[in-house]
Amino acid sequence: MKLLTSPPSLAPLYARAALTGRLHRGDTLPDSVYALTDQVIRLDHLAAYQRVCGFRVTDEVPATYLHVLAFPVSVALMLERGFPFPLVGLVHVANAITVIRPVRCGESVSFRVRAADLRTHPAGRQLDVVAEASAAGELVWSSRSTYLRREKPTAPRAGNNTQSAEPLGSISLVPVPENIGRKYAAVSGDRNPIHLHALTARPFGFGRAIAHGMWLEARTLACLEGRLPDAYTVEVTFKAPVLLPSAVRMATERAADGWRLDVRAACSDKPHLAGRVRAGTSA
Amino acid sequence: MSVRRAAVIGGNRIPFARSNGPYARASNQDMLTATIDGLVARFGLQDERLGEVVVGAVLKHSRDFNLTREAVLGSKLSPDTPAYDVQQACGTGLETVIVVANKIALGQLESGVAGGVDTTSDAPIAIHEDLRAVLLEARRATSIGGRLKALSGVRPRQLVPAVPSNSEPRTGMSMGEHQAVTTLEWGISRAAQDELAVASHHNLAAAYERGFFDDLVTPFLGLTRDQNLRPDSSLDKLAELTTVFGRGESATMTAGNSTPLSDGAATVLLASDEWAAEHRLPVLAHVVDAETSAVDYVHGDRKADGLLMAPVYALPRLLARNKLSLGDFDCYEIHEAFASTVLATLAAWADGAFCRQHLGLTGALGSIERTKLNVNGSSLAAGHPFAATGGRIVAGLAKQLCQNGGGRGLISICAAGGQGVAAILEA
Repeated sequence: MKLLTSPPSLAPLYARAALTGRLHRGDTLPDSVYALTDQVIRLDHLAAYQRVCGFRVTDEVPATYLHVLAFPVSVALMLERGFPFPLVGLVHVANAITVIRPVRCGESVSFRVRAADLRTHPAGRQLDVVAEASAAGELVWSSRSTYLRREKPTAPRAGNNTQSAEPLGSISLVPVPENIGRKYAAVSGDRNPIHLHALTARPFGFGRAIAHGMWLEARTLACLEGRLPDAYTVEVTFKAPVLLPSAVRMATERAADGWRLDVRAACSDKPHLAGRVRAGTSA
Repeated sequence: MSVRRAAVIGGNRIPFARSNGPYARASNQDMLTATIDGLVARFGLQDERLGEVVVGAVLKHSRDFNLTREAVLGSKLSPDTPAYDVQQACGTGLETVIVVANKIALGQLESGVAGGVDTTSDAPIAIHEDLRAVLLEARRATSIGGRLKALSGVRPRQLVPAVPSNSEPRTGMSMGEHQAVTTLEWGISRAAQDELAVASHHNLAAAYERGFFDDLVTPFLGLTRDQNLRPDSSLDKLAELTTVFGRGESATMTAGNSTPLSDGAATVLLASDEWAAEHRLPVLAHVVDAETSAVDYVHGDRKADGLLMAPVYALPRLLARNKLSLGDFDCYEIHEAFASTVLATLAAWADGAFCRQHLGLTGALGSIERTKLNVNGSSLAAGHPFAATGGRIVAGLAKQLCQNGGGRGLISICAAGGQGVAAILEA
């Protein structure tokens, strides 16, 4: 176990990622577990995060906020010598978060982060980065982020039958401003150049900067203000990236056990995110 | 404690103007003060200390925190008249009538003025949200260095101001876009909407012609009639208009069957019967009862919980409490936010399955005789300065009931935020 008492700084980690990409290869995941202990939820940082993501400023920590606290540790893990893929080029394709009980501002939270379940995928290989948060010795939150390493070209999927023609349920029209990547970078520390500016995104193959997937997930959850249970699981898959600036339609539809989520481009109906929220903590 | 019914003595409003028309330079306070002064002149209230003046505006600058009190101070009413603001989106005007009427009913007031005012021309433009954040951060900084650091966050694009819009904060959709969904869900046709719009213009024009508004409206800034009124409106003319809300082939809503952005103010004088008698003022009608409602337009059912469908839910509760049925009225005033709002509301009440499932009734609430609906025109013709509409309707309905020699009138007003306000008047 690698024990950290403060989150690693992301800037040098990204620099290392840029330099050491070729060194990461292999067929197995490192079995290290990173622990980040006693992170006190600070009001100013929490409030800044809540504002950027469209949550109301409140003591209660949004499900996606703890992901931000755990993220630098995830990056450190993925930059370990034994990690099989270079960080640059890993695509965040899905995220599932379980809130066991709401965490509140001022609480001290400890994280454990590990990599799990390396598996093949039609486009290459996938793995999960699993983060768990505990407070006062009890597990309160967990997150599973799925990353894809593209290793072979895939034909565009014909007929995506999971997607209905029209978004279902109630729709919110949400503008996504050009500076949202920089704003989210400022509160999350995730200054991946693809999110910051069109000029910094271009070398990575994007014509414009793209919104952080975790911002999009957070903003979608914010549409359910007042409608989320205390304990729940939110699972999303990220589809086409949201190019900045743009506008998206966030559809939320009641399901038997929670909500279905469907985020698309406002003008073209191109899917950006699909997911669901289920009450309770059973996976 | 005994409860008495508050009397509607009369009303005064200024003609409603189209946005950026003749009232472009008039503020809410300007329009409201003129409207109160018109009421004072009409009912001889110079230097009179009234119980309360309760008015609201939907679009209001933060400096107008005491809008109504400031208007009273500038008016010819006694400066000893207390005043305060109320805001419930487009339900504001009717809500102020309910507030004043209830205080009169409880004996807390003998007289009062209710009303509303709104300008979409002299709108309270705000600074860019990012610039506001920077300036607040700078204000919180305790050192010059900290202040400069905060101010370094100013960017040129932040100089673009934030203009108020009528979109719902939670859905980002304008009222028209929301209503387009409702219109489609209820299958309201373009022809039916245009027909209602034409009737509104013709009814309002006829009411002006026969002098109905002579003691309800006071000219202001050169305007003597509602600027939006088109007496020669016709189905053919309306059919030429292109649709403005909704997408593609199914779109039916035009500028002709939707209310325009407007400026204006309206007030209503309410009192106890005793106060009216003392002041030798005839009573037009009494306020019987009122009910508000709300729907979950954010996450609710597309058809049943449309943004402007809340009055549909208020009415059965109001009728049941007063042991009345939908047919028991001589006049119906259903605010024409859009022609399709009125038509969808009527369709819902006439739909047995809907009434059973959503209103808890055993069958359809019923239908109304269209000849009794908005007999002196409504918002499609007059315009709709949001908070002013309630006062326009209450004063007009009270007068019509009185002219009829008695009767019962029903008011239904939809409001932003998925809300509805309904009330019963009796003469």
